[in-house]
Amino acid sequence: MDSSDFANKKALLIEDMAEARIMQKKMLSDFGFQHIEIAMKAETAMELLKTQSFDVILSDYNLGNGKDGQQLLEEVRHSNLIPNTATYLMVTAETSIEMVMGAIEFQPDGYITKPFSQAVLQRRLSKLLEMKSRLYTVNKALDQKDYDKAMEEAKKVMEQHPSLEGKCQRVIGDCLLEKEQYEQALTLFGNILQDRKMPWALFGEAKACFYMGILDKAENKFRQLMLDNRFFVSAYDWLAKIKTAQKKHHEAQSILLEALQRSPKNLLRQIHLGELSFTIGDYLTAEMAFRRAVFLAKHSCYNTSGVYLHHIESIVKLAESAPLQSRQKEQFNITLKKIHRYFFEEPDTRAKTYSYQLELALLEKDLVTAKGFLKLWEQEAESGEATAPTDQQLTHYHVAFGEQNEENGH
Amino acid sequence: MKKMDISTILASAIHESKNQVGTLLYQLQGLKESIPESDSKNKKITVIEESLKKLNDEWVEYLYLYKLASDGYQLHVDTFSIDEFLDDQVFALLGSANAKNLKLTYACPENLMGVFDERLMTAVVGTAVYNALRFARSSIEINAAIEDDYLVIGIDDDGDGFDNNEEEDLVESNTGLGLYFAQLSANAHISKGKSGFLKKESSPRLKGARLAIYLPQ
Repeated sequence: MDSSDFANKKALLIEDMAEARIMQKKMLSDFGFQHIEIAMKAETAMELLKTQSFDVILSDYNLGNGKDGQQLLEEVRHSNLIPNTATYLMVTAETSIEMVMGAIEFQPDGYITKPFSQAVLQRRLSKLLEMKSRLYTVNKALDQKDYDKAMEEAKKVMEQHPSLEGKCQRVIGDCLLEKEQYEQALTLFGNILQDRKMPWALFGEAKACFYMGILDKAENKFRQLMLDNRFFVSAYDWLAKIKTAQKKHHEAQSILLEALQRSPKNLLRQIHLGELSFTIGDYLTAEMAFRRAVFLAKHSCYNTSGVYLHHIESIVKLAESAPLQSRQKEQFNITLKKIHRYFFEEPDTRAKTYSYQLELALLEKDLVTAKGFLKLWEQEAESGEATAPTDQQLTHYHVAFGEQNEENGH
Repeated sequence: MKKMDISTILASAIHESKNQVGTLLYQLQGLKESIPESDSKNKKITVIEESLKKLNDEWVEYLYLYKLASDGYQLHVDTFSIDEFLDDQVFALLGSANAKNLKLTYACPENLMGVFDERLMTAVVGTAVYNALRFARSSIEINAAIEDDYLVIGIDDDGDGFDNNEEEDLVESNTGLGLYFAQLSANAHISKGKSGFLKKESSPRLKGARLAIYLPQ
């Protein structure tokens, strides 16, 4: 592949170490890349990926204190921030490569181990781009969520390029899962497994079983995957889903807690733990999970008001059983400030925020403050800035204020 | 003080050293680019570069060896085009062969596919080729074929063969360690109840030594 192939491609380089960053940027320019964006950490990369599209992403696994390269990859893949047609190359060290290869669910298109020479990087990149161009029609269809087309194209590619058979089979299996054709997916993954124990095929089988409601079988398969791959932490999430479906909420909770011990920076898992803890009334754990989620959400694709609201709601719930400690009160105010800063344009968010502040004031027997919030809320409801309180809420507040509602009056 | 496992300490020490080798390689690359290619210094730098690369590859081998021996290696097999895989290996090792004025080539049937752990087999082929570089007279060939249900990757040279000096070396030098590593790597590949193994033979094509790695498919 000559340099003209790189010239019209846009590259994103993510590397925290200055020396390596300069070196790699130079390599990319030497290959002919004319558009190269640079990010020193995952959070910056996320912002760039939200606003621009890239053909090639070269990311280090180790990105300092924030998210690591694998977490970044999982988040952008999960939220479709990068198209399937883009090429993702992960730079790893000997120690970190296992985390990347063990992830099964979200893998980069390729990896390269440090240290590498310019020639080696160019070769890797060229080969990857060639592979991605062979799979282009498949990935294009996947990006358009046209699963029938993706399967059809995958079959064609497989016939033309036998070396891509594994990748194509996996696409077909995953498309069958998307189309909810679980029986067929099960057959396909089963056939692969008869030939060889490929982790992605076992993962496919496990998912198919889960969706078909064969929970015991799904659990066995996920446990097998965890045994085979120490670094496949997503298996914990699936196990927690199974336990939740079986209404074994406490078991689900301890599974998530265990997974979070291994990778505490996983935002979706923190949210999941928070929600689960809410359903079983464990507000202490819920508060902890949502507090961490709020901390992680800012530089992620999941930065929605829900996470923040859940956090302050969990503190209100804690106040129901015992007076808040000053630390908890402080947490409440910190998250409250963030809601004001980022989400106060949303009428629903405003309404919910006032309802929690009001509730907290009531629990603290501070009627003056509570009444003040209600007044403010109703004013903003009138001007359309906030959603109006429901009748049910109003009745509850008036009873709490010791006022007689007119309908209930003499 | 708590008693620590010496092999774990050594493994992490090797890792540290390996990282330093990596930094040196980067710095050397920068230096090399600042000197015109025609300069005779450039040739010397290439020699240092090749030695550092070999050192890096050896550290990697030792790290994998440690992991394999302590059951800490997680095998990740995938399907590969053998032609591409061997081409990659020759590409990575050609510099070292050229530095010794040796020919390094590969041969395999077109469209041959194989299933194995790429990282491990890259390290094994590297180890075998570095070893062959010490004994070959003029050429080394990496080749591959399917025999029964095994993928056989062979490293052939035109040296004196295993019967003579190479075998004596087994105990004395790190050749023994390299072979042990290759053996553990082959053993780690298991399919349908069969596991991989090594054969030390004489090369029918180059008349020297042949190390054949059998990987069940």
